[in-house]
Amino acid sequence: MLSNQSPVKVWDLFVRLSHWFLLSVLVLTWYLRGQWHEWLGYLAVAIVSLRVLWGFVGSPYARFSQFVQSPKSTWQYGKQVIVGQEPRHIGHNPLGAWMILALLFNVLALGLTGWLYTTDRFWGVEWMERLHEGLANSLYLLAFVHVCGVLMASWRHRENLLTAMLHGKKRH
Amino acid sequence: VKMSVYKTVFQLGLLLSLGSWSSLTLATGLATCDSGPKTAWQSAEKLEKMLIEKEGWKIRRIKEDGGCYEVYATNKEGDRVNAYYHPVTLLLVPNTLSVRK
Repeated sequence: MLSNQSPVKVWDLFVRLSHWFLLSVLVLTWYLRGQWHEWLGYLAVAIVSLRVLWGFVGSPYARFSQFVQSPKSTWQYGKQVIVGQEPRHIGHNPLGAWMILALLFNVLALGLTGWLYTTDRFWGVEWMERLHEGLANSLYLLAFVHVCGVLMASWRHRENLLTAMLHGKKRH
Repeated sequence: VKMSVYKTVFQLGLLLSLGSWSSLTLATGLATCDSGPKTAWQSAEKLEKMLIEKEGWKIRRIKEDGGCYEVYATNKEGDRVNAYYHPVTLLLVPNTLSVRK
């Protein structure tokens, strides 16, 4: 299975930088309160917005059109994962792809509800605060499942996906 | 990579995840008050009345946070204000008052 071909450059510099920069900003936002929390939250929204834009104009493996598959074929892939028969993907696998969409959407929803809570209309409105907290918890849960998926895919295909997101290269 | 390595990484990750998650649920706000048992607390209604009379605020919500009362209100100018008060003394917790124009 291991080939002697040279590794492929899969994740471009922007994909890698935005991934780790976003993670750092989100961790800091989780812990910090007040003014810092707000500005870091907006910074996270800015990073996600750029990443979404990059998903349309970026390098081949950064594009949504390269990795997002229909719910039907994603379901098929999911069934293959359960029986341990799933094919290896050089880019994101179909389940990972939907996780990325969920994570990006969750960060945007978190930023939106956080901003709304500071507006006159929703100032002190309890359900908006609860919604913001709920979205923070769901992002935490999604990130945890994301890491589990990365570890499982790494193990299944005998490759280190974590370091691949650092240097950007994967074997053929 | 050996399976056992992944197991250790997974367990460590789970531990760190739960730890960081629970540390947030303990204190969510800007301030904490050493306010003791609730039997010694003054009521939120009294705080609300005090802020309306003394500051001329319109109160949006008063909630408990970190053993303090956290107040969301608007002041006379219509700016949004957020502040923490000690539930026993009903004094403003220093450096917690913020005003949004």
